[in-house]
Amino acid sequence: MTEAAVSVTEVRGWVRKRQAAHKERGETLGNFYFALLFIAIVGGMLHRQLAVVFWPSVPNASQLAGVSIIVALIGGLYIALRRLGPLALSRPASSWLLMAPVSRRVLLLPSLGAAMAIAAMTGALGALAIMGHVLARPLAEQVVALPLLGALAANVLLLIALAAQADRWWSGLSDTIAYLLLAAGLAGLVVDSAVHAPRAPAGWPPAGSVLPVVGALALIVLIFFALAVRTLGRTPNDRILEAAKTAGTLADSAFGVEPSFVTDMLERRYWARRKLRSMRLWRRVPVLTAQDLLLLRRRPRRLLWLAGGAALPSLFVSAPGWVLAIAVVLGGLFAGGVTTSNVRTDTGNPWMLRMLGISSRDSVLQRCYVPVALATIWYTAALSLLQILGELPAGPWWALGIVLGPVGGVAAVRKARTGFVNNSILPFDTPMGSFSPGPLIASLAGVDVLLLGVPTIVLIALGNPLDLTGVIIQATLSVLAVRAYLAGTTAKDRVELSTH
Amino acid sequence: MSYGSTPVLVDVDLTVAEGAGVCITGENGIGKSTLLRCISSLQSPDAGEIEVFGGPPGSTPEFWRAVATTVEPPTWYPGLTAREHAELVCRAHGVDAEESGVDEALERFGLASHADAIPPSLSSGQKQRLTLALILLRPSKLLILDEPEQRLDPDGRATVAAMIAEYLAGGGSVLMASHDDVFSSAAGMSPISMTDLHPVQA
Repeated sequence: MTEAAVSVTEVRGWVRKRQAAHKERGETLGNFYFALLFIAIVGGMLHRQLAVVFWPSVPNASQLAGVSIIVALIGGLYIALRRLGPLALSRPASSWLLMAPVSRRVLLLPSLGAAMAIAAMTGALGALAIMGHVLARPLAEQVVALPLLGALAANVLLLIALAAQADRWWSGLSDTIAYLLLAAGLAGLVVDSAVHAPRAPAGWPPAGSVLPVVGALALIVLIFFALAVRTLGRTPNDRILEAAKTAGTLADSAFGVEPSFVTDMLERRYWARRKLRSMRLWRRVPVLTAQDLLLLRRRPRRLLWLAGGAALPSLFVSAPGWVLAIAVVLGGLFAGGVTTSNVRTDTGNPWMLRMLGISSRDSVLQRCYVPVALATIWYTAALSLLQILGELPAGPWWALGIVLGPVGGVAAVRKARTGFVNNSILPFDTPMGSFSPGPLIASLAGVDVLLLGVPTIVLIALGNPLDLTGVIIQATLSVLAVRAYLAGTTAKDRVELSTH
Repeated sequence: MSYGSTPVLVDVDLTVAEGAGVCITGENGIGKSTLLRCISSLQSPDAGEIEVFGGPPGSTPEFWRAVATTVEPPTWYPGLTAREHAELVCRAHGVDAEESGVDEALERFGLASHADAIPPSLSSGQKQRLTLALILLRPSKLLILDEPEQRLDPDGRATVAAMIAEYLAGGGSVLMASHDDVFSSAAGMSPISMTDLHPVQA
């Protein structure tokens, strides 16, 4: 490798000076001041809620829940770090500096530092929340070092993810392990809800074990960090460019309040990595349904998550009945959404629909079958499981799941048909500042259809034994939901899904 | 038809007989694509009358079963290979993929070795070939093509020109905009200059 010809610090300094020429004096300081003010105001407003999340007045979770959250956090954080890079550059830096004759190591070190700081903060906050919810009080002195342990553990994960970013042979394996840890953690939480596991005993974890673990983790972080810095310059360009695009898309999504940018990016990347073999579309079902079934077959991991997710409403059995009911009804929206990316594609650009020459009525109907089937199976499984766990009274809850399915499926299709967030709606002026309703309206698309699941919400929330009358009422509303949705939003004489 | 205060199409008069192939030529920005968009019902003219097969162009399934166009950029379904896109289009039109020669069409367009690829992973020229393959595979009565030779290599141009000529020979009509005289004449199209359609130039 040739010696770097230009100092990165000088180049960055030059760029900063040129940028400063376009800024008003004190603009950066002003931005910093407003950011601090924002954190102080939001912190002041939400300090009670934050206390409930991180440090409740009395510990309220079991030891099993604590261990499960730790396992889920390890898996979840690793997956998030891998999705984000974890080593990324800004889009301008990735375009101009990555290809420039500058030291790669010096170029990437600030990004590594920032990633380590963010990971440490996440780990420390996670550890603090687990301490607050699980550990018996008063806490032993050494246990106070647990947030430090969390920060170090998060950095170990970050440095492993950094090594995986260089496309090692075990990258895929580490991702699978992380997914399994996340699933195991969530399963632990479900079991905890079902069996009402005991609280952590006083003196857990043993105070004497905290500092040695902190020391060991610090040593591991030091060694991994030294190795990472040594090999930093060899991180493949394509990986850094991909992470830079991710960071840029996230920024665009946040700035434009448009979550579909991220969804589309994830979808594109998923399929770009897959190696497919052409298959014949199933002839016995309508053509667009056959396409949805093919898509479903190609996303087995999603189906697995869906199957596991049927147990998640059990997490809310200790909450008020209406919370559990809403969790159940909302679950169908996610279950039905496994194949709705095809609807999103048609909503964004109807070129294929024009090519197929199918009316919007027929295409939406054909696209509804799979989401309705998935939502039906999911609702039936979730309600049956709740009944088996003894959280629902007697009655044919499985039948309620079957008749609720169309509501969840149609809600998922409606959500996919929303398209881009409409940011052209005039903002409201409120005492807290102006408020743009576009993102709120977009986030409610689909949820509005779920309102037709109100009979189910009421039946679960009341906690009375279920009879056939409740099932019939829900069935009637579900049929009405599908018919009204198709009649009101599609037409026999129009190909496009949107009327605009 | 105008963009802001800039008139693009003024007093344009064009008739394409059924079974005919007409290629509109002219410099960039003269309004070829805008005219094709108006005829495809993808853009509404400020004034005037357009008829396709005796009726106004619209967004009805009947219209789009008769008309196939490349005026708009194509979109691709996620997780569906190039061959599956072709099969989907055939099935939607009630045609059996094998009988309509999906594999032969992909072979002819040089896409046989990419049949299992997802379209976004193809090069721009291959995507253009796939788009044209889909359009020529499905049954239609009128093709509206905006510079179909774009991004194609010489072999690709010759293949597409031959297939358009076959389409015309089979009784279909073609309205096309192109900058390539050799291509349009190989496709059997009658050239007409955009300036000849503009009695009043802006």
